[in-house]
Amino acid sequence: MLTTPTLGQIETIVHERIRALLAERAGEVGHLSGNEKLSATLGLSSLDLALLVAELEAQLGVDPFAKLVSITSVRSVDDLVRAYQQAFFPELERREDHTVTAAVKRAQTRRARTKRR
Amino acid sequence: MPQARRVALVSGGSRGLGAELVSGFLERQYGVATLSRTKTSFISDTLRSRKRRNFHWRAVDGRDHEELRAFVKEAGEQLGRIDVLVNNAGIAMEGILPTMRMRDIVEAIEVNLTAALVLTQACSRFMLRQGAGCIVNVSSVHAIRGRAGVAVYSATKAALDGLTRSLARELGPRQIRVNSVAPGYFESDMVSNLPDAEKKRIARRTPLGRVARIDEIANAVHFLTSDQASFITGQTLVVDGGITC
Repeated sequence: MLTTPTLGQIETIVHERIRALLAERAGEVGHLSGNEKLSATLGLSSLDLALLVAELEAQLGVDPFAKLVSITSVRSVDDLVRAYQQAFFPELERREDHTVTAAVKRAQTRRARTKRR
Repeated sequence: MPQARRVALVSGGSRGLGAELVSGFLERQYGVATLSRTKTSFISDTLRSRKRRNFHWRAVDGRDHEELRAFVKEAGEQLGRIDVLVNNAGIAMEGILPTMRMRDIVEAIEVNLTAALVLTQACSRFMLRQGAGCIVNVSSVHAIRGRAGVAVYSATKAALDGLTRSLARELGPRQIRVNSVAPGYFESDMVSNLPDAEKKRIARRTPLGRVARIDEIANAVHFLTSDQASFITGQTLVVDGGITC
């Protein structure tokens, strides 16, 4: 188990695990892109996802779905990668929060201006 | 320990049915992990016996979710795998619902149901990776037949039976079987504390005319965890001498 993997290592590990699972089902697996949908495109079931989470917990020693992230918010390969990256680097989540907060503020300002007009 | 040896995790294995199950699994050459709030003489004796190499115990409060998860991780690492989970730990909470203290209701749910959910979630991770496993929830005839004075207890046990059926469907594709054993009255502290008249009434209402021996309940659990039950999942096996028939 890695103690503190880099963001790139986490991405590689998650991709490898997905590819191994897909290979078990369909043999050879081509290139895996981050925006591919785990269920709709890759055909993974919720049980497959549970198996992935169990394997990644054994390998990385963390389970982001215990407290941090809801599994239902994970749709794409990148979503899954991000969940594990956030488990090791919580500041990533805060950075995303700030981005969302800033976007919400901009939208509120726009709405307020429109009303004034 | 050889990796191929089967490993069972039994909650509440310090006394009563739990201790009987621990002994039974050890006799069947399983590695056994169990947790309980207190260290009883049974636990001390087992830790001192020649079976201690295959036995892992730790004091855990069933209401502490993090401790439960840590225990499963520790047991899996120490014994190498987890093949069987028996959700046996439970408390009897007597009293009619209208006058029951809220904290007693919450405690019964935490110990009888939530702890089982936490242990099942943690153990299922091992079983998913192994592509095999077996879970037995120790329910009760009170989940099937109503009885005044045990409404909260009945609710928690009926919830375990619901868990059994849905989880059997969720985990079946990975060859993980999930079943319940619903014991009737058996030789236990709970029954020995009943007034004699009540014990006689129970025996009279039971077609087999007596309460069960504790090994008769444990045998049902051992059957369901054995290969002889390899095509049984999602079921509740009632072991009650016929009292609910």
